[in-house]
Amino acid sequence: MYHHTNVFKNESKLDINYVPPRLPHRHFQLNLLNQFFRFVLENPGKMAQRVLITGNVGTGKTVLSQHFGLEMARKAKERGINLNYVHVNCRECKGSLFMILQRAILNFHPHFPKRGYSAEELLQTLIQILDEQNAYLILATDELEALIQIGGSDPLYKLTRIQEDRLKAPQRFSLICILREPKYLDSLDHSTRSTLQHNIIRLEEYSLSKLQDILKDRVDLAFKYGTVSTSTLHFIAELASSEGGDARYGIELLWRAGKYADALQLSEVSPECVRKAAADVYPVVRKDIIFSLSLHEKLFLLGITRYFKHSEAAYLSMGEAEGAYAVVCEEYDEKKRGHTQLWKYVKKLSALGIIRTELSSVGQRGKTTCISLPGVPASDLEQELTKILSTEKRRSNPHVN
Amino acid sequence: MSIEDIFSSKGRVRILRILVEIEELNISEIARRAGLNYTTTNQHLQALENAGLVRHKRFGRIRIFRFNEEDSRGKLIKKLIENWETNK
Repeated sequence: MYHHTNVFKNESKLDINYVPPRLPHRHFQLNLLNQFFRFVLENPGKMAQRVLITGNVGTGKTVLSQHFGLEMARKAKERGINLNYVHVNCRECKGSLFMILQRAILNFHPHFPKRGYSAEELLQTLIQILDEQNAYLILATDELEALIQIGGSDPLYKLTRIQEDRLKAPQRFSLICILREPKYLDSLDHSTRSTLQHNIIRLEEYSLSKLQDILKDRVDLAFKYGTVSTSTLHFIAELASSEGGDARYGIELLWRAGKYADALQLSEVSPECVRKAAADVYPVVRKDIIFSLSLHEKLFLLGITRYFKHSEAAYLSMGEAEGAYAVVCEEYDEKKRGHTQLWKYVKKLSALGIIRTELSSVGQRGKTTCISLPGVPASDLEQELTKILSTEKRRSNPHVN
Repeated sequence: MSIEDIFSSKGRVRILRILVEIEELNISEIARRAGLNYTTTNQHLQALENAGLVRHKRFGRIRIFRFNEEDSRGKLIKKLIENWETNK
């Protein structure tokens, strides 16, 4: 008889959008956010706030903001304050201020027309709605890089200065900006940058023990008692730690390992399930990381993936990588960058964990950097890069098919 | 406007039903859902607004219509439609 085992108690607790009731090792940052926005509960309308949250992938930026937002809205409701927290992902909104504002307005008027006006009109409409409903809004713009890359300073300037010509009116609009690296702010004009840099919350990467605590919490929420042993948990935490303290990766690994255990009809998630899951979950193939690379970084990486796709070699030298990149540049009709620039790309791609580099060992003439792709099938990465590059090409040149 | 004027028009009844179901919408969307053209929808909404059954809010160039729940007749008609729809 077919016997179906299930190690999960509630796998939705491992969903990327799930906001847990407590955030281990982020108490200080949560308290800081609460301090920044204390006025919303004590003196609503007296001021507005802009906060910047930065940190690497999987350091809890999104979940910190969402947890704070939900809690704040709940506390405000208890006090009879109409506070709304709206979380928008700028990348999902294609870096368009129009779409970001539209999401905010749909929170108040779910059937608000989706076309027929400009972003400026929407901004005015949003303020009008807030005034009419005596409401306050904390808008969290996640993956702000997308908005900066597409719109430059202009959209952020509008969002940060929305209330400047309403000196005597209540201040209803606050902003939380979430981005990976503050360096993106360098491309903004001075005034916008200075407005955003007053309150910065930096999230450091999680250490191994912190990752263990986070994963333990999720195991308790999502798995049946006794199905994930301490050693398995430690193994997953170690893998997540080696990926730069990426908790999201660890949680994804946990979920997938659970799925393998179920598929293999095991009563417990074994380390072998984790290994299988790790082979599946390529942390470096995350679209958001690849998407954030510059055009020539992508082209360089594409050259590397193509080399590995057609070769049995485990490593390629810097010279071979440059050769492969030159071919890709010809294909994409781009002028190739010089050696020094490519060396910088290698360092960046290595820092992001997409490639691994090491100095050539004895037996090879001279010294060169050897590049490898750790655990990522070159064909998958190539496919992903080609897709992103063709989308970008179409966007920059919409009349060419 | 008499009660006959409200209920004798299929278009008006359709608009009222849409507003009960969706709560608030702009004219183009009401017209699309009701299968009417923009001008006719606008005229019906004008009539319903004059009768105090619906009201609108303006956001720049956009008008969003909804049932006027402050009007006792509006409330009753809304209830009637809700009841009708659930007991179909």
